[in-house]
Amino acid sequence: MTVMFLIGTLVCALSVVVCWVMTAVRDHPADSSIISLALIELYLIVYAVYAGIRQATGASITGEAWEFWGYIVTALMLPVGVFVWAMIDKTRWSNLVMSFVGLVVFVMIYRLEEIWWGSAL
Amino acid sequence: MSGNLSSTPADDGRANADRTDGAPARTGRKAPTPRNRGVGMLIITAYGIFAVSSFARALYQILTDFDASPVAYSLSGFAAAVYIVATLALARIGARAWRLALIAVLVELTGVLGVGLWTYLQPELFNEATVWSHFGEGYAFVPLVLPFIGLFWLLRHRPGRPAARGTQA
Repeated sequence: MTVMFLIGTLVCALSVVVCWVMTAVRDHPADSSIISLALIELYLIVYAVYAGIRQATGASITGEAWEFWGYIVTALMLPVGVFVWAMIDKTRWSNLVMSFVGLVVFVMIYRLEEIWWGSAL
Repeated sequence: MSGNLSSTPADDGRANADRTDGAPARTGRKAPTPRNRGVGMLIITAYGIFAVSSFARALYQILTDFDASPVAYSLSGFAAAVYIVATLALARIGARAWRLALIAVLVELTGVLGVGLWTYLQPELFNEATVWSHFGEGYAFVPLVLPFIGLFWLLRHRPGRPAARGTQA
C-alpha cells in the first residue's frame, strides 16, 4: 500500500463521515460537507500531478496509461458534478448526496492503484 | 391588519367553543416533494454515477479490444445506455418521463437478473466482466439493489397521485 493511497482513503473516509453527520444535524447543505468535497478534489489534483510527473520522467505503470488517465479525469469531474447537483435542492439530503463522492472516489483510487502498481494493497 | 387576524378566531369561538386549533393555519398545506427532489436526488445521483462509470467502462472495453469478449462488451454498452436513459428519465418530472423511467428500470432489473444468471450458466462467454456479471458482484451488488429502489420510488410517486391525495385529505 502506498502513502498516497492511505492519504486518499483517509480523506474519503473523513468526507463520508462529515457528510453523514451533517445529514443528521443540518437541514441544508453544510459548509463542512462542501469543504470535505473540496479536500477530495485537492487530493485528486495532487494525485494527478504526482502521477503525471512520475510518468513523464519515465516511470512505467502496470496497466494501460489511457485507462489510468480516464479514471483520473472522471474522478476529477465527480466532486464538481455532484456538488452542482447537490445544490439544486438545498435540503438535508444535499449532504447525503455529497457523501457519495467519498465512497466512489475511494473505489476509483483503489482501481487507480491497481492500474499503477498492479495491486492496491 | 390586526383586526382581520383576530376576527376569524372570534367567529370560530362562537360557532364551536371546544375547537382550539386555528383553522386558517390549515390552508398553508405543504406541497408534496416532487419525485426528483429530496430523497429522489440520492437515487438519481446513484443512477448518474452508474451511468458515467458504466459508460466509461463500456467505451474503454469496446474501443480497446472488442474481439476479446464481444458478448460481455456488447452487454456493457447496453447496460450503460440503460443507466443513462434511467438517470435522465428519473431526473425529469411529468407522466412521459415517469413511464420512460419505469421501462428503463424494468429493463435494468431484467438485465441484472438475466445477465447475472447467464454469467453463472455460461461463464465461457464472459471472460471479461460487465457491470451486471454475477449480479453486480464487482460493484458490491449495488446494480442488483438499485433497480428495486428505483422501482419502489417510481411506484410511490405515480404521476397525478400526490396532487389527488392532497386535495382529498
